[in-house]
Amino acid sequence: MSRNELDGAELEALLSRCAAGDRAALETLYTRVAPILLAVLMRILRRRDAAEDALQDVFVSVWQRARQFDPIRGRALAWLVSMARYRAIDLQRATRPAVALSEVSTLEPQLQSEGPAESSDMLGTGALLLRCLEQIEAPQRRCLMLAYEEGLTHSEIARAVNEPLGTVKSWVRRSLIALRRCLES
Amino acid sequence: MNYEQAELLDRLAAEYTLGTLRGRARRRFERLLADSAAARSAVYRWEDHWSALSRTVPPVEPSPQVWAAVNRRLFGGDAAAGAAPRVRRRRAWQLAAAAGLVAVVLIAGLIMRQLAPPPLQTLAVLGTDTAHPVWRLERRLPLAALTIEVVGTVPPAAGKSYELWALPRGGAAPVSLGLLPAAGRAERTLSEPQRLALLAADKVAVSVEPLGGSPTASPTGPIVIVTNVPATG
Repeated sequence: MSRNELDGAELEALLSRCAAGDRAALETLYTRVAPILLAVLMRILRRRDAAEDALQDVFVSVWQRARQFDPIRGRALAWLVSMARYRAIDLQRATRPAVALSEVSTLEPQLQSEGPAESSDMLGTGALLLRCLEQIEAPQRRCLMLAYEEGLTHSEIARAVNEPLGTVKSWVRRSLIALRRCLES
Repeated sequence: MNYEQAELLDRLAAEYTLGTLRGRARRRFERLLADSAAARSAVYRWEDHWSALSRTVPPVEPSPQVWAAVNRRLFGGDAAAGAAPRVRRRRAWQLAAAAGLVAVVLIAGLIMRQLAPPPLQTLAVLGTDTAHPVWRLERRLPLAALTIEVVGTVPPAAGKSYELWALPRGGAAPVSLGLLPAAGRAERTLSEPQRLALLAADKVAVSVEPLGGSPTASPTGPIVIVTNVPATG
């Protein structure tokens, strides 16, 4: 439902109202994006209670740092999602149970974009990323997805895909270079 | 900045945003971000690209306590200003207490060892403060039923219901005792699990729930009242 409603210009407007101290704007922003951010947090932190605590922290920071959001620098959703991911990454070591390999190895990264419901306006450069990811070899792509979506470290990825750490590190590095080239072309 | 430096920055920004840059390297890069506009713009570019992936994960609705806690931490007033408590479902009532939402115990612990016939005992009077009682809970041992009488003004809560919970001693999960009436007097027959939960409870609580009650087996809305109930002899 919220997918169609979620529009970048609205999020930006809400953030600038938050920067001006408008509490109602924060609440609206929360109803729009909290479910997306919670999904992101749960993938990385694995536990709902830890993810909800992190979500709290994120929204407290959003309010406190809304003034730092610069609409020129990028889209609001990217800013919000990044804030959530970095918070999760910082919390991870403390809260996440050791990775269960069986669990990780059954996770199949979801590369499909959302189809017609996902407006190209919303995805913008993101749609390009999905296309570029498809051009990367499956095992390497899987490493990127495990890092981004599950928040795995190099060594956790190495265990999950059963490859040496050095191989995984160079796969990630080379995939990122390939991605950058594709994104610029 | 030469080309090689730009390449290096971009690579670090990619690994930072992807999440594979960790530990000290991550902290060092964060310090660089504070000083370097070039590093920041590399990070922003990657964040924009990656954010498409978060849209492929199905959204998850947060529990209502999360927003309540954000609100309390930012604007909480009273005792909640500054280091407000974090909410975990099991501890919701304790946190409500810490946040100063707790009602005062008006009457509790009346006549425990009665000779037959068992009289109607006041279990607790729930209110927002001592001057404003709202509901009186009465029971008759062996506690097959609970009588709830509205004795004051029920605070308006448009589109919401007040739900009563037994909080068993020792921190076990709360058990719903049903909705509180908005007016009049209700006699509530207790199911066996409710009866046992109330016998084992040292507190009861009232939460604000969606109309018709909590959609889960636990309180989902703010706990507005917590009060002690006497031990069952």
